[in-house]
Amino acid sequence: MKYNILLILFCSLLLFAACIGDDVLDDAVDPVLRISNPIDSLELGSSYALMYNYFNNVGQPEIVDAVWSSSAPDIISINDQGLAEGLQLGSAQIELNYTPATGPPISTSLSIGVGENTVLSSGSRSGSIVSSSSYLLQGDFELLEVPGNALQLRFAENYAASTALPGLYVYLTNNPETNVGALEIGRVTVFSGAHDYSIADVGINEYGYVLFYCKPFNVKVGDGKINE
Amino acid sequence: MARSMSKIRGAMVVLFLMSGTPDLLAGGPWTQPQGKGYFKLSEYWIVYDRHFTDVGLTDPNTTTGIFNTVLYGEFGLTDRWTAIVNFPFLSRNYMNNVVSGTTGEILVPGEAINTIGDTDIGVKYGLNKPGSAWPMALSLTLGLPLGNPSAGALENLQTGDGEFNQILQFDVGRSFRLGQKVNAYAAAHAAFNHRTNGYSEEIRMGLEAGANLMKSNLWLILRLANWESLKNGSTAESITSTSIFANNTEFTSFTLEAAYYVYRGWGLSAAFGGAFRGEIVAAAPSYQVGVFWDMNR
Repeated sequence: MKYNILLILFCSLLLFAACIGDDVLDDAVDPVLRISNPIDSLELGSSYALMYNYFNNVGQPEIVDAVWSSSAPDIISINDQGLAEGLQLGSAQIELNYTPATGPPISTSLSIGVGENTVLSSGSRSGSIVSSSSYLLQGDFELLEVPGNALQLRFAENYAASTALPGLYVYLTNNPETNVGALEIGRVTVFSGAHDYSIADVGINEYGYVLFYCKPFNVKVGDGKINE
Repeated sequence: MARSMSKIRGAMVVLFLMSGTPDLLAGGPWTQPQGKGYFKLSEYWIVYDRHFTDVGLTDPNTTTGIFNTVLYGEFGLTDRWTAIVNFPFLSRNYMNNVVSGTTGEILVPGEAINTIGDTDIGVKYGLNKPGSAWPMALSLTLGLPLGNPSAGALENLQTGDGEFNQILQFDVGRSFRLGQKVNAYAAAHAAFNHRTNGYSEEIRMGLEAGANLMKSNLWLILRLANWESLKNGSTAESITSTSIFANNTEFTSFTLEAAYYVYRGWGLSAAFGGAFRGEIVAAAPSYQVGVFWDMNR
């Protein structure tokens, strides 16, 4: 009898199963509107089509109907399609507004001067990466446009990252809480000092963050906001 | 004394199961008598959603579970030579789904594997005669990489580390009485683990003490273990592959165990363990329950 009890007890142990459950990730971010082809100045008498992207509350692109407006329509006019026209010398603030079904209105703006030439905004953005974990991660970076609709992500000499993680990857993303939907640049192979990555077919205003993520174990290591 | 030693042997062999990694010959300096043995079928598990990082702090990770169903055996080849095997014939490793708290969508699907795990075989040699006041033993354990070191879509599931351990260990111990009726023992060990495939080598040390209660039917045991990595292996900087590589693991842990003889040599055991500190290792309690058969009883 005692043997049977032991046997039943142990068989029940063998049937002990570990089921896959759910880990809930707080991946909410503030939605953003971002003008994807900003200019600093517009040639008098010419027009320029401004475009934008909207990234929702999980950082994913979504097509929405945002509304363009000009603070000085007599200097720069803009229609519903974002076509701006330089009417007289001066400057104006171009506003872009969108009110989602839920949540507060979202807006962004761009200051444009009307002058002799149309000048595209600077083809570089920069920022600093900061560890969000207890793994070492720090350093400044610059995101640069290079010919051929490509970018270069350039880390400065003060960059340093832990070598303890087995699968550290770097991404561009609009949601720094997850690597889902992010653009994977590559596996990190340099852990200190200046170095850079080439990224093909990406616009400089498509992403808002540089993200470091331990891909195999889904651990966020750190991120850096890409400043305008 | 010989009888009390057999009880001690029976109670101490669970240590490696509680550590979560093979520490096969940590069961003290006592060898099995010729033709006698100790066998155990057990379930070990740990589920963790935090881990110790390389600086000793804890960070979150996707909830991960490791469940090992293990057959363990010690058998006395002679009174001084004991053969030992630790065979996790079913090892399960899983990771949870990662679900968006905003949309409810599954961002990263969970996965699981079920295979055999890394297996240890070893021999222990008693350096002095059975019944010595201060028994000492030398052990050699070979850790066979029979488990799967990289399964799943992201190659992040493991039932083994993919490397060949060679562990040389020295044990010393002492049995004594607490008062008139309670048998007790204390033991210590030190070991060196030579590892392959770029893993850092390790120095392992441990202390344990046990007391025999309830008419000698119950062993209560406390174990302390300390693993130090020499940090002389590869790092993410020096390897070019994308293989999963949790190297340089260190920890200081405790284990509490109760082993109860139910009928003759048959008994049940249960144990609970945790870490005081660690690096690159799970930060969660581990558990183990099992059925054992002690031929000495």
